[in-house]
Amino acid sequence: MERILDKGRLGAWVAALADWTVLAPAMQDGLWAYRPVAGGEASLTLGHPNTVQPPKGQSFPQREVFFTFDETPDGQPRLTPLVPRPGPRLVFGVRPCDGQGLTHLDQVFGEEAPDAYYQARRGTLAYVGLACNSPPSRHCFCTSVGGSPFGEAGLDVLMIDLSDRYLVRALTPVGETLMTAGQGVLTEAGADDRAEAQQRRLAALAHPQRAVAAPQAVPERLKAGFGSALWERLAQPCIGCGICTFLCPTCHCFDINDEVASQSPVCGSRVRTWDSCQFPDFTMHTSGHNPRADLGARLRQRVSHKFLYYFENHGVFQCTGCGRCIIACPVGIDIIAVVNQVAAEAAAMPPADS
Amino acid sequence: MAEDPKTPYEPRIVAFLCKWCSSAGSDLAGVSRIQYPANATPITVPCSGSVSPQYILTAFRKGADGVLVSGCHLGDCHYLEGNYLARRKLFLVKELLEFIGLEPERFRMSWVSAAEGAKFAQVITDFVADLRPLGPQDKLQGQRP
Amino acid sequence: MIDPEELRTRARDLLEGGQVRAVIGYRRGSRGWAAEPVVITRPEEAQDLVWDPSCVHNLALYLVQDRRRRGALRESTDRPIGILAKGCDARAIVVLMQENYVQRDEVYIIGLSCESSGMLDERKLAGAAEGIDPQALEAVDFEGDAFVLSSQHQQWRLPAAGVMAERCLECRNPCPKVHDTLLGKEPREQERRGTASAPTMSDPFAELQRFEQTADSAAARWDFWSRQFDRCIRCFACRSVCPMCYCEECMVDSISFTVTPDTTAQEKANRLRWIERSASRSDNIGYHLTRALHLAGRCIDCGECERVCPVRIPLRLLNTKMERESRERFGYEPGASVEVAALLASFRDDDPNDFIR
Repeated sequence: MERILDKGRLGAWVAALADWTVLAPAMQDGLWAYRPVAGGEASLTLGHPNTVQPPKGQSFPQREVFFTFDETPDGQPRLTPLVPRPGPRLVFGVRPCDGQGLTHLDQVFGEEAPDAYYQARRGTLAYVGLACNSPPSRHCFCTSVGGSPFGEAGLDVLMIDLSDRYLVRALTPVGETLMTAGQGVLTEAGADDRAEAQQRRLAALAHPQRAVAAPQAVPERLKAGFGSALWERLAQPCIGCGICTFLCPTCHCFDINDEVASQSPVCGSRVRTWDSCQFPDFTMHTSGHNPRADLGARLRQRVSHKFLYYFENHGVFQCTGCGRCIIACPVGIDIIAVVNQVAAEAAAMPPADS
Repeated sequence: MAEDPKTPYEPRIVAFLCKWCSSAGSDLAGVSRIQYPANATPITVPCSGSVSPQYILTAFRKGADGVLVSGCHLGDCHYLEGNYLARRKLFLVKELLEFIGLEPERFRMSWVSAAEGAKFAQVITDFVADLRPLGPQDKLQGQRP
Repeated sequence: MIDPEELRTRARDLLEGGQVRAVIGYRRGSRGWAAEPVVITRPEEAQDLVWDPSCVHNLALYLVQDRRRRGALRESTDRPIGILAKGCDARAIVVLMQENYVQRDEVYIIGLSCESSGMLDERKLAGAAEGIDPQALEAVDFEGDAFVLSSQHQQWRLPAAGVMAERCLECRNPCPKVHDTLLGKEPREQERRGTASAPTMSDPFAELQRFEQTADSAAARWDFWSRQFDRCIRCFACRSVCPMCYCEECMVDSISFTVTPDTTAQEKANRLRWIERSASRSDNIGYHLTRALHLAGRCIDCGECERVCPVRIPLRLLNTKMERESRERFGYEPGASVEVAALLASFRDDDPNDFIR
């Protein structure tokens, strides 16, 4: 299903989606972030390059309470499970790289061991994507990692900017429902609209982007470069913060803690929070030994997880090329440069004895 | 907070009392049978200078409506200068709490000697009276599970 | 302004002569115009060093990392490490020496005077000039009281004061007081102030004053700060980038709790955790206030915490608030001298007392 939406009528479409809580990128305190929007806002536009944080937190929030625990009056332990039951939520303006990121989260929390909390949130979420006519940032590199500026993965609807209007394309049955609900606002798309959208797509694909060199060879080369001294050198300026992982659309490592509110009587909650492989205690053993004691090993882990281990497990890169970790890194650590340098060094090495 | 005026809000106070003076002062108030509100939970510490800002923040975060730190009068510190150091450090705590918008009445310091049972009772009485109209402190308090 | 060539020569000479074992400086990164920190050990690497308005980082952090690394490897050394230090970086080094974390003879300080300029605030660039795209820039340079920004096809000359970091506008010591060698000059007061029509310097604590004027009640301040703290994602970039945050164990982590075969489940469950991992308002406040208090009398206002914050929490306000109180009430200036006792390890008879009952 393809329709046309007049740019000024985005608010009207949102108003027609009364069953949904709608989130869209809005600028507040100098930041683009997904915030609830009310229907009918005439001023509603999608003017963002990309949001500071991806929409990851909608299905995988930074803090998730699994259950609470306390003591009954007769001293017995009691657990109260808290599986979330959110109403339908719709996220507008998701860039294709972030849509791609959602498919990775779906893999991790849905395939081998479905995560009840993630599933409960994900089941009532829908995403309306916005294709990138030109890269929103100079550090975009989606085309190097299997993505596309017009990618449709993970999205229910894709909107394509045609200057004064959007071409709106349903990608899933949920997407069709959303567009049917907007019947009064969305109009029939003509052949010329489709032709224009196709032109935009080709132009976007032709737009130069920064690039990971020879991506198909990267996993193998990273494997060969595991022991490289480059890791430590490239991590030299690293300060060990969690920006790169917390802004990443695909990083999904977490920690589980019991937050004890009171010791007597005992009460508290078991909580899952995001964790980061860049933190000093991420791999800290109870013995005090830390197998990834230095920043080089942690950088290697972050990069290898995305370009090697995840590839080995799922056949795709875990990185979607959004460029957030490059833009926000306080000291300029650049995942493209890191991958390229380590891979190039490994490629130049003589092959191991076979 | 819509409180019934007939049953005023009973604030919860965490009082860090130095072992040598203020804690003894509170004992004296007790043995002298001075009547004062029972809103304060005393925590005896070795010295007012040993009170880390972390204790104060944690008390507020665990739901205290007011926090009191009380030590020996200047010059009387068992460790000679602990209360001088406390005064400087906790002045900054007070300023910072006010800076982020916590009501200034919620954090208090006093010097109460072992002989000042009546003063201790007065300090608590005044504190409770000042905290009552503010109602519960819900700014720094964490979520209850 | 300092000629970067002069800087490279100095670093090369020091490395060649073996006076230092490495030099901590800035070089051009792979992501455009912004400089990035680097530690060079070979004389030929000195040619990579740069000095321009994007050299924002406080390099004293890498002294801390160097000490940690050497500690972990049990590596001893008889030679100092060289470090480029702006006025603010040098103040940070002074605090590290004052606290005996770094010894004077372990560092060779190459002082860099910002003279009457300062560092660029990337966030002020957007909209600073017609057609400027911060991402498309390829270089930024000093030119008197201006910054020259170049993209592939265009050049802009902007008055520095308009796009300079607030902390630089408020800086009172742009020239390092403690150093082994100094590049650039101590600016004259007049040079720093600029002219009445084009001032290049703000009053100390100007940003703090502006905040206090807009949020002039407890309710307004709480309104503001609760919104800021709610945004925190606890990435700890503010802590990680801070040279004063060198504690082996931060109160938000719990890494030194060693479990032995005798440790009971009870002990594990009840280990001391002041602040939980949850990015909840209460825990975030606990974290940021503890940090602000731990930095009182130690923060030298390099502004790095605020610069790196991905969600733009105005952390400088907390730190400059503590700094101003320390200055006005206790006459204390952080990073001014190695010899004076630390703010919270000293007192005066006339410290404020009227708040105590």
